[in-house]
Amino acid sequence: MKLLNKITLWFIGVVLLVTPITMVISRNNIKKHLDQAEIERMKAVNDRVAQQLRAGEKPDRYTHGRPIEISLLPGTLPAEKVTVSKDNYVAEDLGRKECRITVNSYYEVGAQHYKISSFNYVIKSEEIFQGMLTAVIWKIVLLTIAVSVTARLISGKIFLPLRRTMKAIHRFDLKQKKKIQLPETSTTEFKELNAFLRKMTDKAMEDYAAVKEFSENAAHELQTPLAVIRSKIELLSETNIDGTQAALIGDMQNAIEKLSHINRSLILLTKLENQEFKTTESLKFCRVTKEVLATYEDWILMRDIKLSTQLDKAVPLNIHPALAEMLMNNLLSNAIRHNRDGGQIDVLLTHRELCISNTGLPPQIPTSELFQRFKKSNQSSDSIGLGLAIVKQICEVSNYTIDYTYTNGWHRIHVYFFKEDVPNVMNGEPLPTAAEMPA
Amino acid sequence: MKVLIVEDNKELASGISDYLNGEKYICELAYTFEAAREKLSLFSYDCILLDIMLPDGNGLELLNYIRKENINSGILIISAKDALDDKVNGLEGGADDYVTKPFHLPELHARLRAIYRRKKLEGSNNNLVTFNEIVLNTDTVEATVNDVLLDVTRKEFDLLLYFVVNKNRVLSRQSIAAHLWGDYTDNLANFDFVYQHVKNLRKKISAVEGTDYIETVYGLGYKFNTSKT
Repeated sequence: MKLLNKITLWFIGVVLLVTPITMVISRNNIKKHLDQAEIERMKAVNDRVAQQLRAGEKPDRYTHGRPIEISLLPGTLPAEKVTVSKDNYVAEDLGRKECRITVNSYYEVGAQHYKISSFNYVIKSEEIFQGMLTAVIWKIVLLTIAVSVTARLISGKIFLPLRRTMKAIHRFDLKQKKKIQLPETSTTEFKELNAFLRKMTDKAMEDYAAVKEFSENAAHELQTPLAVIRSKIELLSETNIDGTQAALIGDMQNAIEKLSHINRSLILLTKLENQEFKTTESLKFCRVTKEVLATYEDWILMRDIKLSTQLDKAVPLNIHPALAEMLMNNLLSNAIRHNRDGGQIDVLLTHRELCISNTGLPPQIPTSELFQRFKKSNQSSDSIGLGLAIVKQICEVSNYTIDYTYTNGWHRIHVYFFKEDVPNVMNGEPLPTAAEMPA
Repeated sequence: MKVLIVEDNKELASGISDYLNGEKYICELAYTFEAAREKLSLFSYDCILLDIMLPDGNGLELLNYIRKENINSGILIISAKDALDDKVNGLEGGADDYVTKPFHLPELHARLRAIYRRKKLEGSNNNLVTFNEIVLNTDTVEATVNDVLLDVTRKEFDLLLYFVVNKNRVLSRQSIAAHLWGDYTDNLANFDFVYQHVKNLRKKISAVEGTDYIETVYGLGYKFNTSKT
């Protein structure tokens, strides 16, 4: 739900809650003041009548047509000179509820005590309430409309910096080495957000540069000595050596081979993590697959493996050509190496997925762990255990999902090119939803 | 062939020059950018081996200089950076090929020879590599022994060419595997495969009554021995 709608809903909720309360308060106040005014008026009338009595005038003139009763009061005056009483009752002749206020005033006129009482029917609280109800409903409706409309109109302006910031984040790319450009804003929260983002991206860029520098340096610093050792050993093997020495040199060559391979693979993994293989062009994956298959043709033949392929034509994918080749290379060489002689390999390529299946011994460790670095099903094997880690990394960089299963003697590696094709059985993470942006 | 080796690591440079001296090439060494530029302005070379990272400059800049001065040498870049950008920049900058450290010396030599062949034989229509009765045509990928066409696969052709170019050298199985299948394939398990290819090649040459020059060097690999008759 949009931020704006949330705020609007909360606001309307508050209005709906507060309005009835204020309504009750206003009703009580109005009623109180109306009653009070009536009481004051009747007191004044009573006083006026008492004055006339004192002056010896006949009060008839004044009391005529008015609900005033004048009666002689036997005995002494009560302590209170004025008493007020309210009666709510149902008028039987009219068949409706009435509210009557009676004001009794006591006076001493000469030696006699008089009780003058006036009464009047006043407006009932229900009637006030009904009068108010229409007004309040109108108020709520108008307020809701006004809030919704103005919120929409103003939000465009208020959230503009936020939207611009979000756009800037979307466009931001560590690789471009360009500082993030954030819009100026007068809103404190957005200012804080922008400052924070600036700090964060600057730090990320620094770290990225440091990591990149390290990986590049590592490449240079380690590759050169390795090249020296390798070339010297090669020269050494040209000299006059006996069988024992040759065997020693052979072992060294093996170790150097492994070392240089590990080094190269680790550098590659770092580069993949640094997202250094970005591409905007699409490439025909089917062609890469065919080329790689051709490279391994004779190896497959030598191990007497039956290869069956089912390749869709024209499968365009957004992937760096070097990565596509490496992906296929690693998967296929794995499928051959861990196969048994006379086994079988199935390669299936569609527009949605790549699936390579091969026969082979069951894995010694859970298949998901095989994607970890230096994890091998058979620890003593000659491979260095980085092939699948590289494959996994390539998939992550390219937003593919990879899945490795072993069933009934078949190793099966699926590479799904689109997230929505990933079967639900897989314990995949929930799909990320598009960032919710305010309108 | 006259070769200029531009490489700041002295041991590596001397290793390369030792190997190439064995092929009767004349090698000169330059450890810095400036030294390389000086030599290039004074002498001419058939091929230049160029390291990208030099203490006082970038090898790619040297490429610019070579192009500006119209120096017509074959250029092979040797670099520890196998970053793809460098590869592309180098090849666009006028380099002929690119190897990444740590390379095998026979591999370096094979590539150097390939560049040399292309440069020297420009215009002429036969790209032939000949040794005694063996003739390899790098254009058509055809091999003949005693004028009989050899029925070899592309890999076997490459293997034979690798042997002929690096004759009388011990070629390790690692170097052969890297030459045939590239650096990135995990070729540690490919050694049986190398054996298989060499065996097939020898069989095919023997079948047309060519001399079996290829011999096994115990513990190390193979050698194309020219003293065999």
